[in-house]
Amino acid sequence: MRGGRGRYGSGLPVLRRGSMARVLTAPAVRPGLNSTLLAWGALTFLGAVSLPWARPGRELFTFSPEATGAALARTSPLMGAILLTALLVAAAGLVPWATASRGRAAIVLGALGTVLVAVRLFGTGQPFSWGVAAAALGFLAVLGTGLALAGVLRTDAFIAGSILWVAVFVAIFILYPLWTVLEASVVVRGRFTFDVVRETLRSPAFFLLNNPATPRNETAVALAAGGIVTAVGLLLQAVQRRPARGWLWALPAGVGGFVLTALYLGFGALRNSVLLAIVVGVIATALGFLFALLGERSRLRTRRLLGPLSILPIITPPFVLGLAMIYMFGRRGFVTYQLLGISTNAFFGPLGVAVAQILAYAPIAYLVLQGVVQSMDAALEEAAETLGASRWHVLRTVIWPLARPGVANAFLLVAIESLADFGNPIIVGGGKPFLATEVFFAIIGRFNPSEAAVYGVVLLAMTLSIFLVQRYWLGRRSYVTVTGKPSGAKARPLPPALDYAVSAFFLGWMVLIVALYGSVFVGSVTKLWGFDYTFTLEHLRSLSPTGWKVFWTSTKLSAYAAIPSTLLGFLIGYLVTRMEFPGRSALEFSSMLSFAVPGTVMGIGYILAFNQGALLLTGTSAILIMAFVFRNMPVAIRAGVAAIHQIDRSLEEASTMLRANSLTTLRRIVMPLVRSALLSGLVFAFVRAITAVSQVIFLISPQHSLATTQILTYIEYGSQGRGAALASLLTVFMIVVIAALYAVNRRLGAETRREMAL
Amino acid sequence: MRTPAVPVRLGGVTKRFGAVLAVDDVTLEIPAGLLVTLLGPSGCGKTTTLRMVAGLEHPTNGRVFIGDEDVTPLPASNRSVTMVFQSYALFPHLTVFENVAYGLRIAKVPERALREQVGAVLELVGLPQVGERYPAQLSGGQQQRVALARALVMKPKVLLFDEPLSNLDAKLRKRVRAEIRDLQQRLGITTIYVTHDQAEALALSDVIVVMNLGRVEQVGSPFDLYRKPATRFVADFIGEANLLPGRYAEGMVTVGPYTFAFRQDGVHAGPVTVVARPETVQVATAGQGLPGTVRSAFFMGTTIDYLIETPIGEVSASAPPRVTGMLPVGSDVRLQFAEAGLYLLTEDGR
Repeated sequence: MRGGRGRYGSGLPVLRRGSMARVLTAPAVRPGLNSTLLAWGALTFLGAVSLPWARPGRELFTFSPEATGAALARTSPLMGAILLTALLVAAAGLVPWATASRGRAAIVLGALGTVLVAVRLFGTGQPFSWGVAAAALGFLAVLGTGLALAGVLRTDAFIAGSILWVAVFVAIFILYPLWTVLEASVVVRGRFTFDVVRETLRSPAFFLLNNPATPRNETAVALAAGGIVTAVGLLLQAVQRRPARGWLWALPAGVGGFVLTALYLGFGALRNSVLLAIVVGVIATALGFLFALLGERSRLRTRRLLGPLSILPIITPPFVLGLAMIYMFGRRGFVTYQLLGISTNAFFGPLGVAVAQILAYAPIAYLVLQGVVQSMDAALEEAAETLGASRWHVLRTVIWPLARPGVANAFLLVAIESLADFGNPIIVGGGKPFLATEVFFAIIGRFNPSEAAVYGVVLLAMTLSIFLVQRYWLGRRSYVTVTGKPSGAKARPLPPALDYAVSAFFLGWMVLIVALYGSVFVGSVTKLWGFDYTFTLEHLRSLSPTGWKVFWTSTKLSAYAAIPSTLLGFLIGYLVTRMEFPGRSALEFSSMLSFAVPGTVMGIGYILAFNQGALLLTGTSAILIMAFVFRNMPVAIRAGVAAIHQIDRSLEEASTMLRANSLTTLRRIVMPLVRSALLSGLVFAFVRAITAVSQVIFLISPQHSLATTQILTYIEYGSQGRGAALASLLTVFMIVVIAALYAVNRRLGAETRREMAL
Repeated sequence: MRTPAVPVRLGGVTKRFGAVLAVDDVTLEIPAGLLVTLLGPSGCGKTTTLRMVAGLEHPTNGRVFIGDEDVTPLPASNRSVTMVFQSYALFPHLTVFENVAYGLRIAKVPERALREQVGAVLELVGLPQVGERYPAQLSGGQQQRVALARALVMKPKVLLFDEPLSNLDAKLRKRVRAEIRDLQQRLGITTIYVTHDQAEALALSDVIVVMNLGRVEQVGSPFDLYRKPATRFVADFIGEANLLPGRYAEGMVTVGPYTFAFRQDGVHAGPVTVVARPETVQVATAGQGLPGTVRSAFFMGTTIDYLIETPIGEVSASAPPRVTGMLPVGSDVRLQFAEAGLYLLTEDGR
């Protein structure tokens, strides 16, 4: 044998304790300088010394020489300490220390510097300026470098610094605004009180069950309904003799019956919003499932139209369909008045909102369920059929149980969207209260931020609990993974009769959608819709100057926002999938949080958080950009996580073992491999920002108005033609952008679309 | 290409993943310049041990030394260790040349030297012509060799292999394994090789470390492990073995009704487990031996594999084919054990 048993045969390779101990004590000294710390120290110092620490007004890009670190240090010992700390960091990079001691020094200096900057910023309470940003980010980077060097975080300086930066951004721009909303609901003029909460929740605009104007006692009716449902449930159990566990369902069903009846009989924003969410959720999900079956199992050409359909809700502002509803089904609507000769207000109010939302959100349900139907293994169905099951039986016993978690998922997603929707209720809501619009009216109409905050908290509590259910309860119950690969078996086509019926229905749907969007396009070149259908370019011409200006502002700010939101999203996606660090799941959760937060709630959060003091941002374009960035970041995170999961982890490990640091690995290995996902992420972040309404409606200022809010203003003040013109312009622009993305990025499939849309 | 070989030492290394104890207090010395295999079933901790040497995992307890340097706190990028991954981990968006050059570019090797070194190492692994191709355009065996070239070009102190042959078909596997062995011998790099395939380990290694449940079961040359397994686990895992309950007393071994002379130093009188390799079990139709009945017989070409039922359980035997052919199922036989192939395990052999 080649090894030679004489040398290794008799227990020699096992090291003895004594010799081990000798080697253990060998000191690992690695002297020299650390260029990372040196650079960060120098940069922090230069930034802090030369940039202003405060600004006189709202404007971010002003340079006040009297507020630079150099100027302030003459009078402020605190500023002197900050500058000194930065210099010490640079010195710590120069001293030939051992790695671990250098790391500990960097931790101390970085933490100290961060604290000093915070004390300085919030101590003076003056609006921050670039010096603060430079110093804070610099010291955080130093802290991160220290944590890496000292071995506290088992990673390198770049990753450790990134984690800290991301955490601080998420804390400031997601958690802090939400906190201020919670705070504002219970703290009024500096006093802790539940008065506003009580008043708001008792107000008939919120919810009213026992209407004194009606003869019946609604509470009693609702209780009776609940009782009946419970009794029927128990009776059914008794008759069917199902397993004992079935009894448990009777009571929740009874409670559900009570709640639904109470909602149905009651009045107010809560009732309208919740009923709307349920109805829209059920119908949109059912339609989505039907379309998914059509898309995956149909043998007809019509299914090709599903792709463009699924893109529509992303590329148009959500309320465009609301506007179209007015055009087609309003009091002087083309269908209702022109064709049928009736003048009806039926579509103003919950019905109209419901129809508009179903049209807008069914594609979302379709995208979710498409993945579910796609990854359903056809072999299971074939197996069931060989065991003698009929098609109907297969649907009931195989397809439906497998799809159930996905269906629930689609329902919850649509319900969140419906609850959070602001544009449709305000356009076709007919003045009926909804939670999302009450937030708006409480601030803009009644100047009562606390009331707005209470509405916001209620809305948030609902969307957040749905989000949690969807994420943690459903997440574990899914039988089919969204990206799962189907086995070789070919999907079973739909039975021809069903295929034709569903296709016909879908065609009707498409006709309706095209007619609605078409009406907006036509409306933009029509003199006065409903009265005078003469062709005119007047609306388009009158977009100048305001319309064009807001269009340009929207484009510009959305483009600015798209880049950081995509990069940040992908970075977070990378950190949470590939790195182990304390607080990782907290970071993941809070960065995904803004996904569940309705735009209007985020909007008041931003107003309350950034309206005064050290963090003053309102009235600037920066706050709009930040709102876009953190609103769309979850989408980029999901896209990033999905793309990074596609990469074999050992590629990154191989790069590391060839001496690459994590920045090099990210730049040379990860980025090129996720390039197309990154590009789509960028475009979709842009598109979502430009079509956003609810989160920015409070944040716009006369200088920084946006296209979507301008459209709303036009419609509200009666120039529907101009609103239609601007909306058409926006829609065409988005179609062009998406088409360009398709042309560049051929691989953009349903997968990406799903990541982006949800 | 030769770099001075250094030993690798693990001192009391433990790795926990949450509640799971993946590696349990492993102390090992990998001698300089040898090829050492970590062998064991999946989940035995061999890959985790390898990844701790690589720096891709960090031990919960204990230290890792490369040469005289304590590398425990160092990240993978500072260890002068390279690895050939199970999936090869070739960067799909880079050409073969750029894959191999990747580490050299990070080390800022000047272009001219870089081209020379990449060319030389591609020559060394027998792929001088493929530099401009992309990994996806290569066969599995070629990808394997590119991965090896990429690891070698860095002149590592230690070369690691993580089940490098598991994605190749059986025939190619034998050839590549011979090539790896040959290259390692020529370059004399300290090499740690992880596999679950005992045949591969026996064929490749200077030293085999058998691991089970996060612990080292036995360290030794392939020959020793086969002939003198320290535990039942090793006896069972390396090759095939009959593990028969028996008694030992004063140079005599008793299995069931059969007693024969056999002496093994250091074994005290008492119950033992007799390790008998199938090829050392002799099947006779008469005479002395452990009585039994043939339950099944399979003609394998070079041998006939019998399964024989005896009073102390089933015994498998690989006998050379006889001129007279196979013994029919149901035949009564007597089993004897060739002294050279026998080994006794005492009770503490787990």
